[in-house]
Amino acid sequence: MTTLAPTAPAAARRPRHPYLTALATARGRTGLALVGLVVLAGLLAPLLAGHPPTDQSGLTLAPVGTPGHPLGTDDLGRDLLSRLLHGIRADLGIIAVAVPLGAVLGCLLALAAAVHPAVDTAVQRAFDLILAFPGLILALAVTAVLGPGRLPVVLVIALAEIPVFGRLLRTGILAQRSREYVTAARVGGTSGRRILTRHVLPNAADPLVVQFAVSLTVAVFLEGAMSFLGVGVRPPEPTLGAVLSQSMPHLAQAPHFAAGPLVTVTALVLGLSLVAEALNREIRR
Amino acid sequence: MRGHLLRRLPSALLVLAAASVLAFGILRLVPGDPAAVLAGPDAGPEVQAAIRDRLGLDEPLPAQYLHWIGGLLTGDLGPSYVIGGETADLIADGLGATVELTLGALLFAVLIGGTLGVLGATARRPWIRGAVRSVTTAALAVPPYVSGVLLVLLFAVLLGVLPAGGRIPLLTAPDLGVQYLLLPALCLALPSAAVLGRYLEDSLRRALAEDHVRTATAAGIAPRRILWRHALPHALPPVVTLLGIQTGHLLGGAVLVEAIFAWPGLGQLAEQALVRRDYPVVQDLLLLLVAVFVLVQLLSDLVHAWLDPRIRWE
Amino acid sequence: MTELYPSAPSAVSRRTTLRAAGGGTLLLGLGLTGCRSAVEESAAPAVADAAGPRRGGTLTVAVNSDFTPSLLFAQSNQSLQQRLIYNTLTRYDDRLEPQPELATSWEYAADGRALTLKLRTGVVFHDGRPFTADDVIFAVKNLQNPVRAAQLRATAAAVTGFEKRGDHELVLKLAHPVNNLFDLFEFMIITDPGSVEEAVAGKRLNGTGPFSLTRWSPGTGLGLKRHEKYWQPGRPYLDGVEIRVVPQADALISSLRTGQSQLSYSVPGRNLATVAGVPGLVVSEYATGGGASYLGVNTSIAPLDDKTVRQALAWAVDRERILKQVLGGYGLASATPWPKSSPAFTEAGRTHYRHDPGKARELLRSAGHTRLDLPLLHVNLPGETALAEAVQYDLQQIGVHVTLEPTDAATAQKKLISQSMPALWAMGHSFAQVQPSTLAVSAYPFNAAKNTSRFRSEEYTRIVREAWTSRATGAGANALRQRVTDTLLDEAFIIDLAIRGSVQVASRKLRGATLNKFSYLNLDDAYLAG
Repeated sequence: MTTLAPTAPAAARRPRHPYLTALATARGRTGLALVGLVVLAGLLAPLLAGHPPTDQSGLTLAPVGTPGHPLGTDDLGRDLLSRLLHGIRADLGIIAVAVPLGAVLGCLLALAAAVHPAVDTAVQRAFDLILAFPGLILALAVTAVLGPGRLPVVLVIALAEIPVFGRLLRTGILAQRSREYVTAARVGGTSGRRILTRHVLPNAADPLVVQFAVSLTVAVFLEGAMSFLGVGVRPPEPTLGAVLSQSMPHLAQAPHFAAGPLVTVTALVLGLSLVAEALNREIRR
Repeated sequence: MRGHLLRRLPSALLVLAAASVLAFGILRLVPGDPAAVLAGPDAGPEVQAAIRDRLGLDEPLPAQYLHWIGGLLTGDLGPSYVIGGETADLIADGLGATVELTLGALLFAVLIGGTLGVLGATARRPWIRGAVRSVTTAALAVPPYVSGVLLVLLFAVLLGVLPAGGRIPLLTAPDLGVQYLLLPALCLALPSAAVLGRYLEDSLRRALAEDHVRTATAAGIAPRRILWRHALPHALPPVVTLLGIQTGHLLGGAVLVEAIFAWPGLGQLAEQALVRRDYPVVQDLLLLLVAVFVLVQLLSDLVHAWLDPRIRWE
Repeated sequence: MTELYPSAPSAVSRRTTLRAAGGGTLLLGLGLTGCRSAVEESAAPAVADAAGPRRGGTLTVAVNSDFTPSLLFAQSNQSLQQRLIYNTLTRYDDRLEPQPELATSWEYAADGRALTLKLRTGVVFHDGRPFTADDVIFAVKNLQNPVRAAQLRATAAAVTGFEKRGDHELVLKLAHPVNNLFDLFEFMIITDPGSVEEAVAGKRLNGTGPFSLTRWSPGTGLGLKRHEKYWQPGRPYLDGVEIRVVPQADALISSLRTGQSQLSYSVPGRNLATVAGVPGLVVSEYATGGGASYLGVNTSIAPLDDKTVRQALAWAVDRERILKQVLGGYGLASATPWPKSSPAFTEAGRTHYRHDPGKARELLRSAGHTRLDLPLLHVNLPGETALAEAVQYDLQQIGVHVTLEPTDAATAQKKLISQSMPALWAMGHSFAQVQPSTLAVSAYPFNAAKNTSRFRSEEYTRIVREAWTSRATGAGANALRQRVTDTLLDEAFIIDLAIRGSVQVASRKLRGATLNKFSYLNLDDAYLAG
């Protein structure tokens, strides 16, 4: 695959990183714009929201366009715009910690596994075990042990991502190891560690980058699902999943309650998927 | 192939043993026990003590663990603590429902995903490819707990053509059972269908770009024949591996979908049993799920090997 | 299993056929004609006529949680089947006067330490065995066993001797007079002693009730069929009852809207507005109440050991807002545990604490505090969380900053009973709907000897005991009840917020369905009209 790359003269003149090329495509730009918009909304939440997200009032389920409450209010009279913006903020905070944590731990385990076949077997079976335990059961159990809050949500997401990244990197390492250039380097007397860091890892990293974008979307789902099962972050703090699950009993009378988080989750996941797709296509080329 | 199977068996058993300790341990770590649930919010401590005694919860933990494993090995799962009835019956009923749901979802996933994948890879008109991409993206971007509620709202509340929840076993009354199955299976299948569709599209594209397919096209063989005889067989093996993984995902995702559609499957049973601290049911269920997962992994490896003879087991 | 899904013998309407076809087109070509629709199938009653009670038909009741056989003898959150499969000795009327069921008459001894019961003759269990005094003796002894977790165990334990006079007369000897014996008789189901272990395992439920169990599928529900030898001649009218578990509120409501089920008591208050507008459904409220929501206070944690601080909390919560926003307006905002039907209910007691943040702040300041930080435990279900959030916000307004601790129900129950609750907790209690004395002896949060609040006072113990054992009636009884209420309000270790509404949502076709005080469904006289 790599041998085909230098055919384009422009790329040869000014070597542009393939990720940048990927993100410059229409798909990549749309994705980045969507993600950027949502992230910006979350970052600016304290400035944009007119009310604190937990302030209640007697105004139950006010409709969209109510003066002072552009997105209306929820069942306890809280401003939905404020809850949405702060919810985005909370979600971003969670996934920005949880997914990298899971990725790093998974990669470390995969690297450890590359050292010796016995470790490899142990790590593989540990991954099997995590994958086999249904994620939401795990979530219920972890929260029951740790108590409510952000920590269990972060932990559950990280735990779910560990085997995904670990397996991916392991496959990459195995595939690269058998390549000719690695064999050549080994014959040439390069140390095992140097081969791993200089030759194998950089080439195995591409799928990990794509997976990272995908995992961010999975994290948004997991946060929501945990809120649905009542084991999300500590109320009354809003998250996208928490607001969405609170809106469900009122879906028939007050669909606007659910609309905000629904559109946001969809936009965020859509943006991340587009970015992942764009990267994936460029890497495959 | 048999050698491979034999080589993987010990580690599979090890995974099961570890899972049993984990399942047993997690439950004991979680605060609240079946006696508290049975005693209820109005009872005093002496009621809890009596129930603990009756359930044998005051025995030392290793003894309880061995008692459980001993029962498992002799095929006696014993009675459920809280839900009622025999654990084996509860699991058998739930398993039937979940298998029905998963098979329904798998069918949907393959049908929808297959159609989307083939369309996306072979359609000439750009708008069809665009539409396919929008559908798969939407299916992936909407969480199942939202799509489920939207499906209920549309088909059960607004149109009133399908029941909102519950189950009638397919074998008891196929015509009614299918109507109960339709919505939850569709809801469960959507993300998997999208993943399968994308993967198939990708895989097909590459297969279509390969030399022998180009040669066949140049030789004037009909496109349909090329698709079925040349491209698909090459595109399928990785998709089948993915299907194995997706089956696992479907089983996992069933917890949520079953809750939305009141589908009395293993997911509902697991949630109920965990929330009510029905120790034997949760333990047996978790172990069963791990066993199924291990089995599916083994099978998908085997199928992969069977479909793609180039793979040799190291 | 086939008897579960009776094909409607009456003529299939044109609409049904059309609907079925509509469903059928979605079935990926599974065949269009002659296809039953799952939506319409269960709605068709066997006989349709407008005049008078009608025999036949199957009633489908939607519930949000399954029957738990191991809790057969306890008050659980799903008790509808109790009076369908079994009978009780007596039942209360609207004025809390006992009426005959399996006991036809009763007489207290002069000293109040014995009660003579005359029992109904000609009553048979589902397996054909006749009902006798031995079954009553077993029922009482069974409830004395702590393993059964019966909330009225204290009352059952007051019965210390049995004297049988033939098969249908029985004298119960009491250790001391109790004035809530008929609460026990309203609560206690008469089961077949021989199969009781099978019953708590959910395998065989043998009773004398109007319906017998054909099937219990965990997670799905119960199937019941008519008891042909029921002691009330010509009853029940219905051929069968299906109790179907639909945990999800939207699914439950749509099952009522589409006619898949015809009766439910499980529609959450905030969803009732949706149901109220549906033409085929009738919403009616029970004055008995469906338990009460309260804010519990751990009096062993400073500064909550100070009564003034607890009273400040009681003044701070906006009960009317909680009722409107959390309970959907169904129920009764109340500072006392009593529903309107209770003899202890007084309007003055109900409104003793109103929403007055100014007064609350003042009380707090008089106790020497301007800001408090307290944890509050609640169950992590949507409705309970909303309630806790509302309380949190109200308390914040007087300077009490609350951290919520959502907890699953099992853990919450464990903490409640082991008295290891944090400073505050929000939960529900029941047992205020019958004799007021029952509350303090049967509901653990109010227990005088040992309770979650770790509240102990000799005076409270004495008043409760007196109220339970007193044989006073009329003004004397009222005075005793008032003293219990006054102590509860003054000590504020349990701060009542609202009596939850018990709301029945039924098909317009259904007549004659009633609940007893413990939410046992009585369908003796129920029928499906045309």
